[in-house]
Amino acid sequence: MSDWVFKAEGVTKSYDKGKSFANRDITIEVRPGEVYGLLGPNGAGKSTFVKQMIGLLKPNSGTMHLGEHDLIADPDAARQLCSYLPQAPMPIESFKLHEAVRLAGEIRGGERSAIMARADELIDVLEIGEWRDTLGAKLSGGVRRLVGFVMVTVVPGRVVILDEPTNDVDPLRRRLLWEQIRHLGEMGAAVFLVTHNVMEAEKAVDRLAIISDGTLVAEGTPSSLKIADRGCLRLQVMLSPGSLTPELPPLVREHSRVGNNLLSIIDEENAADGIAWAQRLIGDGIAEEYALGAITLEDAYIRLTGHRSAEPVEVAS
Amino acid sequence: MTASPVTPPLVIRTGTGNWWRSLSAMLRWHLTSMRLFLPVLIVVQMLVAAGFSVGISLFFTEVSTTVALYLATGAAIIALVLVGLVVAPQLIASEKDAGTYDFSWSLPVPRSAAVAAWVLLCAVVSIPSMLMALLVAGLRLEVEYQVSWSIVPAVVLVLVSGTMIGYGLAHSIERTSLTQLLSQILAFGLLGFTPITYPIENLPDWLGSVHRVLPFYHMGVIVRGGLTEGIVADLGVSYLIVLAWTIIAVGLTALVLGRRK
Repeated sequence: MSDWVFKAEGVTKSYDKGKSFANRDITIEVRPGEVYGLLGPNGAGKSTFVKQMIGLLKPNSGTMHLGEHDLIADPDAARQLCSYLPQAPMPIESFKLHEAVRLAGEIRGGERSAIMARADELIDVLEIGEWRDTLGAKLSGGVRRLVGFVMVTVVPGRVVILDEPTNDVDPLRRRLLWEQIRHLGEMGAAVFLVTHNVMEAEKAVDRLAIISDGTLVAEGTPSSLKIADRGCLRLQVMLSPGSLTPELPPLVREHSRVGNNLLSIIDEENAADGIAWAQRLIGDGIAEEYALGAITLEDAYIRLTGHRSAEPVEVAS
Repeated sequence: MTASPVTPPLVIRTGTGNWWRSLSAMLRWHLTSMRLFLPVLIVVQMLVAAGFSVGISLFFTEVSTTVALYLATGAAIIALVLVGLVVAPQLIASEKDAGTYDFSWSLPVPRSAAVAAWVLLCAVVSIPSMLMALLVAGLRLEVEYQVSWSIVPAVVLVLVSGTMIGYGLAHSIERTSLTQLLSQILAFGLLGFTPITYPIENLPDWLGSVHRVLPFYHMGVIVRGGLTEGIVADLGVSYLIVLAWTIIAVGLTALVLGRRK
């Protein structure tokens, strides 16, 4: 199976005659059966990268191979070997759900009976059967997203590219969707998951790459990316509405604030002092609640991308 | 419960069987995706063709048989060209605006099959419009057509070349607002300043010379040649020029579709 590995080496994509870079010297490798995450903030170059995989864009330099196939030299092969769920809505307004799936399967070269059998099962396991005969125009955004997933996986490619697959999907079906994404890996297809939802990716991916400003800043398993934060804890304090950011004690190594959510990174040995500080904030009416927990992938992501709250942080004197 | 395994592709599909299956699937994709819009589009195009046939005849109180044939066949030719050249690029532009363009172009079908499906789709809309124009104008202007077998290659050539020009433009122009504007200009030029509903001699010499090089006048000549007898000359030259433009349009479209930014 190793001959079906996806490998990108030194992929660089620039615009304006090399003045700006969407991708800069990106090298990654995805193995069969693996769920591989490509994470990064908006505009980091994630979508540009996957569009080069399926021949919609061409890199300035670098190579992309899937097994023996050169995806850049042979975009026709690339489109057969990769199936692609874009972030944009699927154009299925005039399709009944089952028609969209069947036709997508036929376009992907599937046999009609096999398509029907797999489509029926996917529709059942994702619990969207009640809309089987409903036109796409009448479906909610979340159900349309799930239909899109079924369309690109009813006959999956060797690499299934999913760009923000869980957008608009309700929590129950989101869980079912993740099960099916994992199942694609069991079928031997590699899943290339593009997302900026770090919390979800942490649970779903085997390995991941983080890109920022077009550059690969980290690659590995979720655990390996958190190694640099070993020995630390995250202290999350929900500030009272309208409260300024309180003066931070020296035990806080790093902090960021999004809305009323103040996130601090502290050393494990300072856990008791951190809790005492958070309780004092609640007692003073500055905060409403707090939570102390293990470092997450999101914390590593913030450290690696430098992607913090866009809101200005005002600190009380 | 998990869905039953379907093996991801081990080999790349090629060959004529795959091409025909792709064409069939893409045509069904287009027809279904336009299911709510297509009947309206066909009816509107037929009404436009009928309205145009009646409308241009109002300019004249009395018309000779030749002029009547010019007007009747001219309305039909415009109906045939208008969809591929003007309406279709607008549909592609709206696909780009809706963000669905990337998905359509990521579908694993040969590009040539996708293009052929688009030409057939345009034929589904434009041929009924052409027939409606012929019928209404024929009744209104009391003309009789002399239909010959050459109408078949003429219609095919005009459909392919017109659609390819519109298709190539829509895919090569990045800004959709520019595509929309250009298609409006094309429609305006086609209806007013192209010698399709009137003889080329009626134009100023310089504009006539331009039209002897462009395909639109010659498209009119070859279709009219298949519907009438004795009112067009130099059919062979016009066929050659339309054929040359068809080859150029197909070649340029292939270049545009093969080009990756």
